[in-house]
Amino acid sequence: MGRKVTKLRYRKFCFLLQFAVLAINFQVHASSHREAPLISKDPLADNTDVYAFKSPDDPNMITLIANYIPFELPEGGPNYFNFGTGIRYEIHVKNKTTTTGDDITYRFTFTSVIQDSTTFFNIRLGAQNLKTVYKLEKSTDGGTSFTTIVAVGTVPPPNIGPRSIEQGVGLNSNYNTLMTNAVMTATSGEKVFAGPADDPFFVDLAGAFDIGAFRPEGNTTNAPKDGLARYNVHSICIQVPVSMLQKDGKTVSQASTILDPDFVIGVWASASRQQIRTLATDGTASYSGNWVQVSRLGMPLTNEAVIPIGSKDKWNTVHANSSSENQFDKYFKNPELALYMDVSKFAGAVPSLNALRIQGNSLGSFDFRNGRKGLYVLKGNPALTGTALDPALYGNYLLPDSVSPRAVDLLPIFQTGVPNLSPYQLATGKPANSPLSAGKPFINNFLPTFGDMLRLNMAVPATDRTSTDFSSLGLVKAAVLGLTDSRFNADASLQFIPNMDGFPNGRRLEDDVTTIELQAVGGVVLAAVGLWYDDYNGSGSPVTQDLQNVLAFSAGPTKNDTTFKTSFPYVQTPWRGYDYTVKPRF
Amino acid sequence: MKRILNLTIAVLICMILNQTVVMASSHREAPLISNDPLADNTDVYAFRSPCDTNKIVLIANYIPFEHPAGGPNYYTFGTNIRYEIHVKNNAATMGDDIIYRFTFQTTNEDSTTFFNIRLGKENLKTTYTLERSMNGGATFTTIITGGRVPPPNIGPRSIETAGLGLGYANYDSLINASVNIASTGEKVFAGPADDPFFVDLGGAFDVGGFRTNGRDGLAKFNCHSIVVEVPVSTLQKSGKNLTQATSILDPEFVIGVYATASRPQITTFDSTGGQPTNNSTWVQVSRLGMPLTNEAVIPIGYKDKWNATTTGSEGVFDKYFKNPELALYMDDSQYGTAVPGLAALRIQTNSLGAFDFRNGKKGLYVLKGNPALVGTALDPALYGNYLLPDSVSPRAVDLLPIFQTGVPNLPPYQLATGKPANSPLSVGKPFINNFLPTFGDMLRLNMAVPPTPRGYADFSSLGLVQAAVLGLTDPRYNFDASLQNIPNMDGFPNGRRLEDDVTTIELQAVGGVVLAAVGLWYDDYPGTGSPVTPQLLNVLNFNAGITHNDTTLKSCFPYVQAPWRGYNGAAYVGPMSTTVPVTFLDFTATKAGQQVQLNWQVTNEINNDHYDIETSLGGGIFTKIGTVAAIRGGNVNNYQLLHTTPALGKANYYRIKQVDVDGRFAYSPIRLVNFSSGNIFTVTPNPATNYINVYSDYKKDLDISLYDVMGKKLGHKITNNGTVIFDISALAKGIYVVVAENDGIRIQTSRILKQ
Repeated sequence: MGRKVTKLRYRKFCFLLQFAVLAINFQVHASSHREAPLISKDPLADNTDVYAFKSPDDPNMITLIANYIPFELPEGGPNYFNFGTGIRYEIHVKNKTTTTGDDITYRFTFTSVIQDSTTFFNIRLGAQNLKTVYKLEKSTDGGTSFTTIVAVGTVPPPNIGPRSIEQGVGLNSNYNTLMTNAVMTATSGEKVFAGPADDPFFVDLAGAFDIGAFRPEGNTTNAPKDGLARYNVHSICIQVPVSMLQKDGKTVSQASTILDPDFVIGVWASASRQQIRTLATDGTASYSGNWVQVSRLGMPLTNEAVIPIGSKDKWNTVHANSSSENQFDKYFKNPELALYMDVSKFAGAVPSLNALRIQGNSLGSFDFRNGRKGLYVLKGNPALTGTALDPALYGNYLLPDSVSPRAVDLLPIFQTGVPNLSPYQLATGKPANSPLSAGKPFINNFLPTFGDMLRLNMAVPATDRTSTDFSSLGLVKAAVLGLTDSRFNADASLQFIPNMDGFPNGRRLEDDVTTIELQAVGGVVLAAVGLWYDDYNGSGSPVTQDLQNVLAFSAGPTKNDTTFKTSFPYVQTPWRGYDYTVKPRF
Repeated sequence: MKRILNLTIAVLICMILNQTVVMASSHREAPLISNDPLADNTDVYAFRSPCDTNKIVLIANYIPFEHPAGGPNYYTFGTNIRYEIHVKNNAATMGDDIIYRFTFQTTNEDSTTFFNIRLGKENLKTTYTLERSMNGGATFTTIITGGRVPPPNIGPRSIETAGLGLGYANYDSLINASVNIASTGEKVFAGPADDPFFVDLGGAFDVGGFRTNGRDGLAKFNCHSIVVEVPVSTLQKSGKNLTQATSILDPEFVIGVYATASRPQITTFDSTGGQPTNNSTWVQVSRLGMPLTNEAVIPIGYKDKWNATTTGSEGVFDKYFKNPELALYMDDSQYGTAVPGLAALRIQTNSLGAFDFRNGKKGLYVLKGNPALVGTALDPALYGNYLLPDSVSPRAVDLLPIFQTGVPNLPPYQLATGKPANSPLSVGKPFINNFLPTFGDMLRLNMAVPPTPRGYADFSSLGLVQAAVLGLTDPRYNFDASLQNIPNMDGFPNGRRLEDDVTTIELQAVGGVVLAAVGLWYDDYPGTGSPVTPQLLNVLNFNAGITHNDTTLKSCFPYVQAPWRGYNGAAYVGPMSTTVPVTFLDFTATKAGQQVQLNWQVTNEINNDHYDIETSLGGGIFTKIGTVAAIRGGNVNNYQLLHTTPALGKANYYRIKQVDVDGRFAYSPIRLVNFSSGNIFTVTPNPATNYINVYSDYKKDLDISLYDVMGKKLGHKITNNGTVIFDISALAKGIYVVVAENDGIRIQTSRILKQ
C-alpha cells in the first residue's frame, strides 16, 4: 500500500520532470572564488559561496546566505571593500516544480555616500566615507514584480581598527554593536543582515590548483594551508520561516516525515550588472542597458572544479532553463576530477588523490570510471522497476547511454536532487549485493527542475552543533552512521541520523564541501547505497580498506579558521585590519 | 642665469599650454579603481640601474594584493587595457616625449580542464605587444610582438614537473626566458613578481595608527610588473650619454616618469559570457607618478577624478599639497594630539623665530618682496608666484614643487652646509636637481646622479633624506658647499628605487624635514649650536612601521623578485588502493647479437589481461612492439619477447605495460640496451630549447658537466643510474658540450644544439 502511494507520487514527479524539460525557464547556479576568467576581474560581483540550512537555534527557520567579494584583506584601505553600487545581488528560491521561474527572489541593491570628502581616511571624527545602505526587494512571481521589504538597510563599516571603530577620533562604538544594529527585520518578516564578515569557506587553494597537490588535514608530510584564512567577504544573510519558503505555506509541524518531499527548496544566488559601462573622463562610471547575470552559484565548486575553463564564463551567465543548463550535463556525467581517481587515466600523476579510486568493478559488475557503462549494464533489466532508475519514472535521465557512468549519482546530486527511492537509500536493510533493493532512507531533496541549486529538505531537523555526532562531512557522515553505528544500522526504518541536514542536503557553514565533493566523485555515494569498492569480496564487512581510505581522506583544512556565531547572522565578525592574528594562507 | 630664465619661460609656456598627462602610487587608493584591480596601477619606480650604470630602469606595477595561491584563474594582465609608462624629458614640448604602451592577449591552450596548467598546456597564457611613441602619442611603433608573460608561479607540479606541468628547471628560468629585447634596444619584462612595496596598511589607515614594528600589509603578495631598462641616451632629450653630463646634477638629464592604465570608454558585457565588446575611445582609469599622492594626499572626494585627470587640469589639486591633510595630524593646534602615532613629527611653527609652516599659515610668504629672494628659486622674476602664491599656502614652498615640478639646484633648495647661520636663502651644498617644470605629478629623476651601490654601508632606504643627513653631519661631506656625490642622491624623491621607504620619507617631508635640511630648523633650535636638535632627531628616527620589503630584490634585471609560489614544500602522497597490482619481480633486457632479449617475471596476476611491450629511443615517446597474453594463475610466471629490430647505433629503452581485464594498466621499470657501445649517457632532446635530460644507467657516480664551446663550465651535476636536468633556457643559441667523468677520468663527451 505504502509502496503504491510511493509509485504514484513518483509517477507524478515523472510527469513534472518531463514538463520541466519542455517548459523550464528559471535561473540556476555554483560556489567559487575567482572561479571563471571574466568574473575573476570583477571581484565586487563575484559570488563566492551560498549556504542554505536549518537554523540550529530555531527549527522553524531557514537561513540563506550568499557571499560576495573574495580575498578581502582586512587592512585593505584606504578604500576598504564594500558591496558594489550598480549591481543586483540576488538570492533565488525555487519550491515548486509547476512554475517556470523562481518562486521567491530577494534582490539587494546598494548605495554609498561620502560623509566627509575632505579626508583620505575611511572613518574620521565620527564621519564615515563610502557609507553603504541597501534596499531589499522581494518578488514572489518569478521576478515580474518586486515589493520593497527593507527600504534603508544598514551595512556596518569595515572593521578597520580600534581608533576608527571604538575611539572618539572614529565612530566611538564597538564592532559587535555595529553588527547587531545592522540586523534588520523586513516588512514581510524576514531577518536580514548585509555586511562584511569572516569568509566561512576554507580550502587549500595552493594545493588544489597545483594540478591537484592536495594536503589532507593531519598528514605529516606538508600541512594544508587554508587559502581563505584571515580574509573577509561581504555576506548577505536572510532568515526565513519555513512556512514562508514551503510551497503551500506549511510549517515544519505539518511535514509528513523528516523527508517530506513537499518541503524541498532549491537555492541559488547571482550578481547582475547592466550591460553597458561608460567611463567618463572626470573619473565617474555609469551603467545602462539590460541587466546581465555575471556570476551565479548554487552547488559549491561547480564552476570552480567541474566546468572546464572554456565554459566557465558562459556558465556564469546561464539563466538556466533546461535547454541552456543541460549543455553542462556532460561535465557531471564524466567529470574531469574523475580522471585523477582512475589509474587508467591520470591518477598516476596525482598521488595526493591515491585514497580515492572510483569503482572499476563494483560487485564484480559495475565500472563507474569516465566513459564506462556504470549502471547502464542494467538497462532494460526488470530489477529496475520501481526504482529511481525505472524509465517509467524518470525517463532516461539517470541512465542515458553506455558512456555516462556518473549520470546516476553526480548528475542528480547537482541538477535535480536525490529522491528517497532505491537505489538512493543506504545499504542498511538491503540484502547483500542488492543495491536496487529498498534500504534505509537518508536523503530526499528531489526537486526535479534541472539546474544547479543547493537543494534542501526543510523537514530534516538540524543537528546540534555541540553534539559529538555533528560532522562537517554532512550527508557522508550521516551515511557512515546509518551503515555502521548500532543506533542507526539496525534496520531500514526512517530515522533522523545526525548530519542529514548537511551538504548536499542544503549546506551548512561548517560543511567541508571540498572533501565531500571529492569523496563523491570518488564514488562514496555509490558505496553508501551498496555499490561497494573493488576490494569488497562479496561477503563480510563492506567497509573495506578502499572505503576506509575514501572516508579518511580530506582535501585540506576541514574547518574554518575561526568560529561561527551561534545565532543569526551566524557568520563571524570580520577580521579587524589593525591587529588580526596572522595565519599563513599558502 | 640664462638657463634659469629659459626655464622660467618654459614654466610660463607650460602654465598656459600644459599638455602633460600626469600621475600617483597606490593600492586600492580610489573608490572606482579599487573595484577594478586589473587596471589598478600600484607603484612606479625610476632609478639608475645598479647593475648596468648606463641604463635607467622604469617599473610600473599593477594589480594589488595578488594571492600567490589565487587559483584556479590566477592573476594576469587584463586584455582591453592599455598599460603605459610615460616619460617627459623636454620642458619645451607639450605632451609626453616617450610613451611605452603594453597591450596583452590571452589564449587557452586546453579549454577542457579547470586547471591553469596541465600536461604541458597553459590556460590564460598571456603575451604582449609593446608599442613606443616618440611624438606625444600621435603615432606608435611596435617594438615587441608576442612578448612572453611567464605563467603564475603555481607550484612545483605546474612549473617543474615535465609531462604533468611545464617541465621548467625552476621559475627563474621562466623569468629569464621571458626577458625580451625591443627592436629599439630596450630590455623588457612583463609578468608576475613579488610586490616590492611595503607599508603598514592596518596601522596607517586606522586614522593614522602608525606604530613601531607594524605589519607589512603587502607581505607575501604578488603584483604584475612591467619593467623597461632603457639607455640614458634614449631618455635624455638630446640623445646625450652620461659622459656628456656637465655634472652629476646636470639639469639637462632630468626626466619625469609616470604610468597609467586606460580602458575603453564604453564596455558592453556579453549576456552569454563571451568577451565584452568595446568602443575605440580610451579613458584613463588609473595613474601614478609620485607614490602615495592619491592614497594619502588627495581626499576621497577627488580621488577618482585625480585618476582620470589628464591634460592641464592638474592645478586643481595643488591645494592638497599647499595645505596637506596629513599636516593636520602633525600640528597640535589641529588634530596632532589625536594621532599619537605621528607624535615624532611636528611641523615648524616658528622656524628661525620667524616662519610658521602649519596649514593655513604664511610660511616663507612673510619674505614676499624681500630683496633677499633675488636670485633664489623664490625670486618671482624666475618662477613667478608659484612657490609663494599667497599668505595661506605654506607648503607651496616645499611639498608642491617636490610633487609637481621637481626641485632646482638653487637656494633655498641647497643643504644648510656652507650657508651662514640662520641664512637658508644663501648658497649651500647642492643635493638635488630634478627640476622639470612641467606641472604634474611625476617621479622626477636626474639621470646624471650616480647610483649608490646596493651593498654599500651608506646605502639607505631613506633616499634623499639620508643624503641630506650625510651632507649636513658626515665629515666626508659637510665641510663645504662643494658639489659632491653624496650617497643616496639617486634615491627618492630623485626618482625612486625599489628599496626606498617612500612612506616614511613622505611623512618626514610633510613633517618639514626638507625645510630643516635647507636651514629652516625646527622650533627647538636656539639659533646657535648644532641644528640637529631633539625635534630633528625625532623626525629622522621616525619610521612609518615597515622599512623594507619582505624579501630581497634581484641584483640585476628585472630587479623585482620572483613571485611568491603558491604551493611550497613536499608533496603529500595518499594511501594506495589495496587492490594489489601485478608485481614485477624481475625485468631484463639484454643484447642477443643485433636483437634484444626481454625477460620478465611477475607475481600476483589477478585480473591481468595482457602485456604490451614498448620501446623508445628517448624523449619519453614509447611505441608498442608486441603483445603477450597473460598466463594468470600460479604464483610466479615468466615471460619473454625477442625484439628483432632494435635501433642499431642508438640507445633503446624498453618497458612493459601491464593491462588489466578492465583496462587499468601499470608500467614496469625502464631498461636500456645500448647499441652505441661507447655511450655512457644519452642527451634528450637534442636539439633543445629550454632544458636537456642527461640519462645514464652507469652504476657509479658520474660527473656530468655542461660547457660552452669556449670551454667555460656552465653547470655540473652528479648522477648515478638516473637522469639529471640542465636548464639551458637562458643560454644563447649554439653548440654546447656535455661531458661525463668518473673519478676525474673523462669517459664521454657529446655535443648538443641549443636552438
